[in-house]
Amino acid sequence: MKITHAAVAGTLESGDVMIRIAPLENQEIDLQISSNVEKQFGDAIRATVLEILHRHHIQGVQLILDDKGALDCILRARLETLLVRASDVNSLPWEEKA
Amino acid sequence: MFGNTVLAQVKRADNIKMAAITRFLRENDLSIDTTVDVFITVTQNDRLIACGGIAGNIIKCVAVDETVRGEGIALTLATELINLAYERQCPHLFIYTKTQNEALFKQCGFYTITSVPGMMVLMENSATRLQRYASYLTTLRQAGDKIGCIVMNANPFTHGHRYLIQKAAEQCDWLHVFLVKEDTSRFPYEDRLALVRTGTADIKRLTVHRGSEYIISRATFPCYFIKEQGVLNHCHTEIDLKIFRQFLAPALGITHRFVGTEPWCAVTAAYNEDMRHWLQTPSLPVPPIELVEIERLQYHGMAISASWVRKLLVKKDFSSIDKLVPEVTRDYLESMFVARPAHSVNGKLESTLTGEK
Repeated sequence: MKITHAAVAGTLESGDVMIRIAPLENQEIDLQISSNVEKQFGDAIRATVLEILHRHHIQGVQLILDDKGALDCILRARLETLLVRASDVNSLPWEEKA
Repeated sequence: MFGNTVLAQVKRADNIKMAAITRFLRENDLSIDTTVDVFITVTQNDRLIACGGIAGNIIKCVAVDETVRGEGIALTLATELINLAYERQCPHLFIYTKTQNEALFKQCGFYTITSVPGMMVLMENSATRLQRYASYLTTLRQAGDKIGCIVMNANPFTHGHRYLIQKAAEQCDWLHVFLVKEDTSRFPYEDRLALVRTGTADIKRLTVHRGSEYIISRATFPCYFIKEQGVLNHCHTEIDLKIFRQFLAPALGITHRFVGTEPWCAVTAAYNEDMRHWLQTPSLPVPPIELVEIERLQYHGMAISASWVRKLLVKKDFSSIDKLVPEVTRDYLESMFVARPAHSVNGKLESTLTGEK
């Protein structure tokens, strides 16, 4: 899956997360997390994000998360929505999911 | 926030709603900014309780009614503004705001670039974009003890600009010229850049850079929350020059900044004074940059300026223009008239040339 343009998903409401994505010129993954539960869950958030990016073979992106304490399932939903918005696919390849 | 809260978009053309927004902003000590293209409003029981506007890539005119502060409305509003900006394909957002709102916008994913203590801050929605830009600049670094810089608009490129570049280049080991990125209705950015690059191709030890949002972008002119025009201009120059000195100049190793003397325009003359202060004051934790003013090139006792050329252009006085601009610019200006059908010359083009919108 290729990220082709900048996009945003989610909100800044309490319990939600706003994620912004933009393609980078190189192949790194620049992940910036700002969360009000960063101390407790920063590592878990990072792990979830990287896992989803890895599953969709995504590299060369900048991701900025403004988290207001979203549950893991919400984080996943927001991120997958974002990936569809930022790429030229119409839907995620749900069925290929391991 | 409760049930009957309604969010809406208001375009400039909607006069009735714009009047309500203007009134609401005034109640919150803000004046309306004419560059805002679209507002997001939050209403409760038909009462306006919050609003915020987007002008290109800048968020402006944000206000939340005193009675509903602390309920998270600002976050809802910010969400809508950010979503709208992305829809309009402006993901790189800036906010100029009062110092007391800094913490609020931090919660919305904005990071402070620089501030005028106690007055205002300039924030952007990335913690790293400015650093990335600065590290990109370091790849364009040139060796030398005396590295010069000029920031110019070249609207259009005149003999005056060329003279300034030439004189500065003679005094430096390398000269970096930044072309202000602001794309107004006058001459397209790419055209201005091409004119400067072609018109200075023979000058050695020179790089002509594209500008960026971080160097004199008038778009970020914060003309909405401080009433006294004088204070406002000083704050703007302070922010612009602090960014230049703290982030951009160190990336390129710039030691000197060159400007033309300003006999006509009071704003630019004041800017030169501010520039001297902010580039050289020891109160900032980075090396000072020396400001060098170069006497402007004159023609028949008049300092050559781009605005003079634009005035002549309206009168189609090409024989006078010929004396003020390099060949490349003259050819370009003449081709503008050839390229357009005659009837548009008197209407649309005229406003393009004078820069009045």
